[in-house]
Amino acid sequence: MSRPFPYSYISCPCADTPIPDPAKKRRSKESSQKATPERTDATDDAATPKQEDNQDEGDSDEEQTFDPRSLRSNFSLYPPEQLLYCEDCHQIKCPRCITEEIVSWYCPNCLFETPSSMVKSDGNRCGRNCFNCPVCTAPLAVSTIENVTGNGSQQGPWVLSCGYCMWTTLDIGIKFDKPTNIRSQLQKMTDSTASPAYDARSRQGSRAFGDLKSPLSTLISAEGQPSAPNDNENGNGNGSEEQTKEDSTDVAPANTDARFAALKTFYRNQISETSNSPNDPLSEFGFSSPGALNRLMSLYASSSRLSGLYGGNKKAKSKPPVMREALTASEGLRVTPAGEEAAIIERLASPEGGWDSIASLEQRAQQSPDVRFVDELLPLPVLLRTKRAKRCKSCKHILVKPETKPQSTRFRIRLIALSYIPLPTLRPLALPAPSSFTSGTVTQTPDLDSLPPLRPVHVLLTLKNHMFDPVRITLATPSVTPGRVASKVTILSPQFEIGANSDVWDEALAGASAPVGDSRLTGVRTAEKVPEAGKVWDKGRNWTTVVLEVIPGTLPGSEADTTNAGNEDAGDEGAVTLKEDEDVLEIPVFVHMEWDAEAQLEQQNVGKASKPDDLVARELAYWMVLGVGKIQAAL
Amino acid sequence: MATLKPPPAQHRSAPTGPPKAPVKADPTTTIADTAVFQGKYPITIGANTVIHPRARFYSYEGPIIVGDGCIISEKAIIGAQPASSRSSSRPASPSPTPEPSTTETQPPQNKDLTTRLSYFVTVGPQSTIRPGAHIHSSACIEALATIHRYAEIGSHTKICSGVEVPEAGSVPEWTVVWGNGIGQRRRRAREAKGPGPAVVVAARVTQTPVPGLAPEGKVIEDARLMVLQKEREVLGRMIVPAGASKKR
Repeated sequence: MSRPFPYSYISCPCADTPIPDPAKKRRSKESSQKATPERTDATDDAATPKQEDNQDEGDSDEEQTFDPRSLRSNFSLYPPEQLLYCEDCHQIKCPRCITEEIVSWYCPNCLFETPSSMVKSDGNRCGRNCFNCPVCTAPLAVSTIENVTGNGSQQGPWVLSCGYCMWTTLDIGIKFDKPTNIRSQLQKMTDSTASPAYDARSRQGSRAFGDLKSPLSTLISAEGQPSAPNDNENGNGNGSEEQTKEDSTDVAPANTDARFAALKTFYRNQISETSNSPNDPLSEFGFSSPGALNRLMSLYASSSRLSGLYGGNKKAKSKPPVMREALTASEGLRVTPAGEEAAIIERLASPEGGWDSIASLEQRAQQSPDVRFVDELLPLPVLLRTKRAKRCKSCKHILVKPETKPQSTRFRIRLIALSYIPLPTLRPLALPAPSSFTSGTVTQTPDLDSLPPLRPVHVLLTLKNHMFDPVRITLATPSVTPGRVASKVTILSPQFEIGANSDVWDEALAGASAPVGDSRLTGVRTAEKVPEAGKVWDKGRNWTTVVLEVIPGTLPGSEADTTNAGNEDAGDEGAVTLKEDEDVLEIPVFVHMEWDAEAQLEQQNVGKASKPDDLVARELAYWMVLGVGKIQAAL
Repeated sequence: MATLKPPPAQHRSAPTGPPKAPVKADPTTTIADTAVFQGKYPITIGANTVIHPRARFYSYEGPIIVGDGCIISEKAIIGAQPASSRSSSRPASPSPTPEPSTTETQPPQNKDLTTRLSYFVTVGPQSTIRPGAHIHSSACIEALATIHRYAEIGSHTKICSGVEVPEAGSVPEWTVVWGNGIGQRRRRAREAKGPGPAVVVAARVTQTPVPGLAPEGKVIEDARLMVLQKEREVLGRMIVPAGASKKR
């Protein structure tokens, strides 16, 4: 566990119930209510150490004890802050039991929202002036160089410049005439295919045009607009494949994207020509259609020697037409020029070449695959970000909904679990030295990173209520922690109330309870106090502190273990080695909370114990895990 | 700034304190009064240079020469303290080279222990320039960068924040060293670059003329130096000059 001790995790119930459904939940709720009295008995027993044996059996009768060490629990334990709460299901929701949907796309640089249709057609990059440095990924600034070039006021050429590594577009020989719409200006310069001559060439092109933009674009590519301004990165998404369809005359598609598009069109044509079956409109190449599968199978069957084995030539099929490969440049074939590689090598070896001139893998990952040198890198438009709404998976109730505007950090709906469940905090109790119980002696706070085994430690568990209703809490814990390291845990006062999260001023104005609230801060009283069974340790406006008495168990194979006569016999040599994190003392605690909530309109009748003043008894139960500390190996 | 000033000339006035270095500064230099000059060898500071408060100059191992028009920012350390006092007075500054060994076992046989900063050098806050380093004109050392001994930084070169230039390392001129540790290097464009291959290809395909040459890459550097000049002028008015250190 990465968190420092002490920590607390809350287990999301979704781990137990893979498909949470409200009806089932209600049933379990009732049953759990019935079970409550028993449990409180059991935990009362736990308060008195004599009857611990009985409690063990009582626990096993009920639901299974949550084991923080089991492999599954890794997936259900979350820090309390990460959990949400569904008001409809009355259940804690973890990141695994919610669905996310994108509310808006925006550029983190200019905070402009991009409509999702634009994202689908143009890719998820900012279409304005936001660029990242291709060398070091810092944001680029649009700046003028008019002062130095001596141009008139605000007329000067503009460049993109990086404040960190001092890269500018002058490094790649690009300047801009206007400070706005940099992306389309850049597009015009680097796009090999945006010429109007080919735009209205063919209707067929429109489909391919849609295809090569982005995977998302297939959804909306039905309406083809060949002349639409397309701002996709690196100048892909252009109309060049149109020319390659019919006129294989002169101009070969030059950049990678255009070549890819040309190849794609070519192979699609080939497939549709050679395939017997009509092209499956759903699949791109028709390979997934049964017809294509048949054809492939028969290809293999007829050509291999297995044919005799499987009787493939029983019915001699007509020889399927053979697909040919791309042959001309207009079909997307690119023949490497004779001297190209030599030229590259020469450039690498030249004095201005060398290691520093070669683009790194990270730099090339974002660029066109042809890019090899640093001075071929093009500025990258900034990636967009999303704002996401979160829904409950089972009831589709919205749990989190941010405001659509990128500038706003507010949320319209935000049902975080901490406003419904009490926040558990844990801290060790500084006990006066055992030699003298008089006040003023040195108090010692146990070191949580090395707890001595078999020595009782007192831990203060504070639960802070964030609801506006007082809550009755019942805590339960197995008297012995699960796993090989058996630590004994006793909650000294398992049943208590937490006050409502009322106005802070109410308490202050009342005045009477003020010293109680302060006592948490002053260390004087805690030094005098002695933990007592059945009594809450401390109580404030909306929080209550109880004491947990923990007796850390001995680690297998440790020195302390040999003192334990019973364990010594049982332990064989193989089991002696300590497993990972086995020395971490984690206590599973079952929290059951009850409160009277104001009834919502639609649920007025559902409430079992509806009171005259429209109050509904609510309850919630969950497991949490308290990470107390690490047990040290030696005594 | 006046409120932040420690008691004046703490280091210099204390009779038992470390030795004051002989400072020879141009009258146009602006030196904050909390800047520290210690050591045996002379420290020369050129015209129009601005030295921020709490910049530290240690000339125990060799003279320090700072050229004209430089900016030395706060808490920058130029030179090195003697090995004995270094451990006590300086908070642990992890340097990959074990310093005492280099100072004692490797006397400057042919190495010049003069620390040189040429014209228009910018030294960022909390950066360290060790003795013997030579920084050529118009270079820029950013915050928290470390230039180890005998390193040579070419002119118009930028050492980005946090980067370390190894001992006796050399960085060519018109280079940017960026990243972490020894960092990555990038050559800055100095002259006009032809349009990149993507642009040329695009122009050929669309049968439009290749866009003309962009301005020389030098103009960016010119602009930076112009801004630097302005910054220096303003700083000269803002920083409380130390009359004492000037006269000395």
